[in-house]
Amino acid sequence: MKMQIAINKRLHIGLLPLILLVLMGIAFVIAMVRYIYGIGAISNLSNSYPWAFWISFDLFTGVAISSGGFLMAATVYIFELKQFKPLLRPSILTAFLGYIMVVIALLVDLGHPERIWYMLIHMNGTSVLLEIGLCVMTYLTVLAIEFAPVLFEGLKWQKFANLIHRFIMPFVILGVVLSTLHQSSLGSLLIIQPAKLFPLWWTPILPVLFFVSAISIGLSMIIFESTLSARYFKLGLETHLLEKLARAYPFVLGLYLVIKFTQLTLAHSLGLLFTSGLMSVLFWTEILVGALIPLVLFSIRKFRQSARGQFYGAIMVLLGMILNRFDVSWFGVKHPDPLTYIPTFMANNVHYFPSLPEVLVSVGIFSGGILAFGLAVKYLPVFETEQHHDRAS
Amino acid sequence: MPNTITRRDFLKVSGAGIGALVLGQFIPPQVAEAARASGLLDAAGSGYIPSMCEMCVWRCGLLAKVENSRVVKLEGNPEHPHSNGKLCPRGQSGLMNTYDPDRVLTPLIRVGERGEGLFRKASWEEALDMVAENMLSIKKNYGAEAMLFSTTHCLSQAQFENLLNAFGSPNYGTQRSLCFNAMIVGNLVTYGMQEPDRKYDDLKYIILTGRNLMEAISTSETSALSAAIDRGVKVVTLDPRFTKTAAKSSEWLPIRPGTDLAFHLAMLHVIVGEGLYNKQFVAKNTFGFEKLPAAVAQYTPDWAAGITGIPADTIQRIAREFAAAAPYAMAHNGWRTSNFVNSFQTERTITILNAIVGNWGVAMFNESGEETGSLGSVPQPPYPRVTAQRLDGVPWKYPFVPLDIGVFQEMREAALAGQPYAAHGWFISRQNPAMSLPDRGRTLQLFQKLDFIATIDILMNDTAWFSDVVLPEASYLERYDPLNLVGNRAYVRQPVIAAQGEGRSTLWIYKQLGQRLGLSDYFQYANEEDYLKQQLAPLGVSLDQVKQQGYVDLPGETPDSSDEAIEPKWNTPSGKIEIYSTTLANGGFAALPVWEEPLRPKAGEFYLLTGKVAQYTQMGTQNNQYLHKYADPPRLWMNTQTAHSLGLATNDMVEVTSPVGMIQIQLLATQAIRPDCVYLTPGFGHMSKGLTVAYGEGASDSDLHQTFTDPVSGSQALSQTFVTVKKI
Amino acid sequence: MADIQHKAFIFDATRCIDCRACMVACSVENKIDMDKTRIWVSGIGMKGQFPNLTRASMVYHCMHCNEPDCLSACPVGAYSKRIDGPVLYNPTKCIGCRYCMNACPFGVPHFDFDKGLLQGAFIDKCTMCPQRIDIGLQPACVATCPTNALVFGERADLVAEAHARIQAHPDRYVNHVYGEFENGGTSYLILSHVPFTELGLPPLTERPVKEVSEEVMGFTIPFALSWAAVLSGTAMAVHWFNKRKEAIAAEKEAKAKQLEEADK
Repeated sequence: MKMQIAINKRLHIGLLPLILLVLMGIAFVIAMVRYIYGIGAISNLSNSYPWAFWISFDLFTGVAISSGGFLMAATVYIFELKQFKPLLRPSILTAFLGYIMVVIALLVDLGHPERIWYMLIHMNGTSVLLEIGLCVMTYLTVLAIEFAPVLFEGLKWQKFANLIHRFIMPFVILGVVLSTLHQSSLGSLLIIQPAKLFPLWWTPILPVLFFVSAISIGLSMIIFESTLSARYFKLGLETHLLEKLARAYPFVLGLYLVIKFTQLTLAHSLGLLFTSGLMSVLFWTEILVGALIPLVLFSIRKFRQSARGQFYGAIMVLLGMILNRFDVSWFGVKHPDPLTYIPTFMANNVHYFPSLPEVLVSVGIFSGGILAFGLAVKYLPVFETEQHHDRAS
Repeated sequence: MPNTITRRDFLKVSGAGIGALVLGQFIPPQVAEAARASGLLDAAGSGYIPSMCEMCVWRCGLLAKVENSRVVKLEGNPEHPHSNGKLCPRGQSGLMNTYDPDRVLTPLIRVGERGEGLFRKASWEEALDMVAENMLSIKKNYGAEAMLFSTTHCLSQAQFENLLNAFGSPNYGTQRSLCFNAMIVGNLVTYGMQEPDRKYDDLKYIILTGRNLMEAISTSETSALSAAIDRGVKVVTLDPRFTKTAAKSSEWLPIRPGTDLAFHLAMLHVIVGEGLYNKQFVAKNTFGFEKLPAAVAQYTPDWAAGITGIPADTIQRIAREFAAAAPYAMAHNGWRTSNFVNSFQTERTITILNAIVGNWGVAMFNESGEETGSLGSVPQPPYPRVTAQRLDGVPWKYPFVPLDIGVFQEMREAALAGQPYAAHGWFISRQNPAMSLPDRGRTLQLFQKLDFIATIDILMNDTAWFSDVVLPEASYLERYDPLNLVGNRAYVRQPVIAAQGEGRSTLWIYKQLGQRLGLSDYFQYANEEDYLKQQLAPLGVSLDQVKQQGYVDLPGETPDSSDEAIEPKWNTPSGKIEIYSTTLANGGFAALPVWEEPLRPKAGEFYLLTGKVAQYTQMGTQNNQYLHKYADPPRLWMNTQTAHSLGLATNDMVEVTSPVGMIQIQLLATQAIRPDCVYLTPGFGHMSKGLTVAYGEGASDSDLHQTFTDPVSGSQALSQTFVTVKKI
Repeated sequence: MADIQHKAFIFDATRCIDCRACMVACSVENKIDMDKTRIWVSGIGMKGQFPNLTRASMVYHCMHCNEPDCLSACPVGAYSKRIDGPVLYNPTKCIGCRYCMNACPFGVPHFDFDKGLLQGAFIDKCTMCPQRIDIGLQPACVATCPTNALVFGERADLVAEAHARIQAHPDRYVNHVYGEFENGGTSYLILSHVPFTELGLPPLTERPVKEVSEEVMGFTIPFALSWAAVLSGTAMAVHWFNKRKEAIAAEKEAKAKQLEEADK
């Protein structure tokens, strides 16, 4: 399945890595064009749609899929469920790379990427985005520290690895707190737009909903990444461990549904559930695909125990919850309407679809993440638990 | 064949003379210094300079903000009654008029074919010499009358007239017959004045026939109407389109085009028939009222309803409401009254309507006139006697049209026909007949027939594009003009910045030309400032004082027309308001208002309407980038249902055909127009590639308009052209 | 609601004739690229079927809210509200995140999507012409409006004026002054003859939009500290419990070994 392409006598590169490199290159070129000619030159963003595909995909989804990191760190270090250790390092790596991708994406999306550090010196305490920015920056540091042992072991600097192991707990706690904060704050971003976000989604408890769903996304990412890695890197499947992990699904998803529908009831929004056209369709897709159906499926032991079931179940949750992120940040948001009729030349057009270069930037960044993941797995002891070099099966 | 020619492409620098011309005291003194000396600008070259706008004929007073010798903002001058401190969108965009990258800043001499747009730069000396040579040659070979002169109303018009009168040509074209001849002549024969002043302050009821004041913005009058509406004044608008004025009115009557006359005759019928008129005023101030009842007996509301499409009881009600509100009621004459041949009768009817409800002194006044005498004037020897007939038929064909107004389209027609004699040259100043005269193809034909055409303009407008010599005028922010009388003040236009490039004022150009034509005696002023000083001489104020303040008060009291002790006088044969017009009777025309059946479109044809847009002035401002940015794109309006029935939708490209021409334009399907009408955004369809912003946009209604002249007032009937529309 | 002593506008939709002099004046005055005006025209335009038609248009720019959402949302505090009313934007702090564009209920801030890093891509919006109002002039849009659809003055006076106009012509106006209380009060007060939604104005409550968001944000630090405490507590408890388990198991094992030894 792996094809090798010989570049020269000594250098061989697989087909997939080559494709990933090409995509990264394309993204880089597009980013350069963006820096010279402006965001509008390579995207369909406009005054009606200042945030759209990049924010939904790179920021919201990117952060959400990195939630496996804090989940595993809490599971292994705080709750001391040591049997999940094999899943810890890959999830930290996933999270670490995920956040790096988020930051790179922001460097393209921000009007002034060279000023990204201004959030450290000019701070507006009421801004949700500030909180997210600071948390992400700090958490990235924490993740680096949590991942450092893998690097050090790979470099055979065992002493440094041990040093970090000893003082890991405060960082884990800090990491969980930071993750909780910004996973939930991504939801809070939309609280300031009550008139713009459709009532099936807007609520002051968006942060709670985001946090709970982030846990389910974390579970799914761990299963997803673990299954794919097993296949691609020719490792044994961790089905047994993953089944234990999957036992959490019904509780997490159940909690999510209870909170969500209680919120809708208290907000008197139940009447909108079936009468809101496209919004209803989007909402129910989220709920069914992302929560209700997986909840049922993962309650069935046989389903939970099969590798196939775990993988496809996790994908369902991922898709449904990513749709939720897209709904909250883009699809469910009302954009300036055509009642603004002069001047049309300021691109107050309300029809938006991401342009090809816009999508390619995100694809390229994502490819970089995958490539980095593959390289890390190849050269670093990612799939080995610390101080052991054989695989626990 | 050159496709897209930029100005740089076609301008070739002249090898000949950079100018041994001694401009002497005509080089505008460094404005910054002069303004500094009079205290208007500070040491940095910044400050406010009062002057006057020229983006339309309303000429609002403005204050120009100057920073480092650049105009950076224009404000309305609160001391000017036409602006009262406000400026309309065109006024605010005036900077872009002066700083338009397409400005013609040097004299240009044609090198290619006429209409090709190939010119070379020339010095003033060469250009002026060439113009004078050609004019003298035409005079020598064909007589002075073979030289046509035309200009549109402007502040230096008196000197333009001076030039043509001194030259000896009777052929003088102004844009008036394309605009308000019907109104002027109607007022002249009835009231003995061209246009009374109007006051809105005390009114309770206003009828507007056209006069789209909210889009044809005359700043102070628009403000006054808006304030009246705000107070709760009832406004009735007659218009086949739902204009922005109609939208602000209490009642909008979507009247059939050409039938305003029927409406107003029915109004007269009701008011006279039911005795609702002001008997005292009529008895004291009018002549011939006793003949009116019989004349309007047949014009019942029912009769009018069938013609206009407005219900009879509506007409009756409005007539009664109008009379009941009198004397605080006014029927506005309209301004561009060049609609149908019967528009003259409409004007007569409206004028009489106002008279019989006795609103003189309340709504209408005569506030101007006395003060003209108090200004000085430049001495002029008597003009040469002109024996040749005017080509435009004034006064032998059109006895009632004033000589300084003329019948412009007839001048073009006669010149084309070569009857009674051929024209050989045309001198145009601040005017664009290539776009304004109806049936543009014929104007272009005339261009090709003439031996010589010279144009004064600030941009390469379409007429300049076809000229042999183009003389660059300094823009209105860059020049002096003769004083402008408004109310009891004389306002000054002064340079706010030094003229860019080689631009010069027309005061200078006319004098330079006059000198070369051997007419120096008629231009006895050294320069613009000297001209103004001579105008100011009787007032005993210095020019610097006037420049400081922006105006000078004129001595003498304004006659207070509302003062009952003063007897109003009318300059008519009877000395009274002539309901029965002896002037018209003597001319063989109907002495009382009479119904004239207007032309109607056949099945499948539409009335072609025109009308103003707030962001443009006729066809002169489409190149202004600010206005171009903020205005709606040019379109053909068609009623939504009609469009639907023809399988047309908004943004479709359509072909519009009239008996004389065809255009292509994008459609706008809208509810705001009668189903039997279409409306074309005016002023577009420029042929000159020297207008880089405007060229290629929209289409010109002049390509479609047929020439129809009203025999009484010489007014061109612009709405009498009918068109068919089909999808491309 | 306490009297707010600062500058404000009234826009009267019954007077606006959609001439756009305000747009030209603003762009000229503030030397803006005319492609990016600070004033827009919005509204349902024309309504109805020939010949029963009405028309409504509104010009609007920044509402200069009393409780600005842009100010609340900007992570680097690039917005500020002057004591006399204008909400001002500071480009030297801006990082171009465009959160303010989302936060503004009126869609006011606009961004240079066409400028790269060298030219500098910034937000722009109405500033209430401080260079004019500070020397006693009116903002450019107000100064030029031929029909006085726009007027300018002290907010308290203008609120009274707005209500006076409604009282004088109750059949003409919708009985509401938009902006008096919406979003906590704005400095752009609107009178209309048609429902405000037909002018493009969003229905907003009196409670400032940003308040919920700020309340939630206010929980951040207390929550973070509590959560850290809970997690630390849990970790310590679990650790202690596991250690205990291990100790008991070790004890058991030791005892078993002892017995084994003893047996030998």
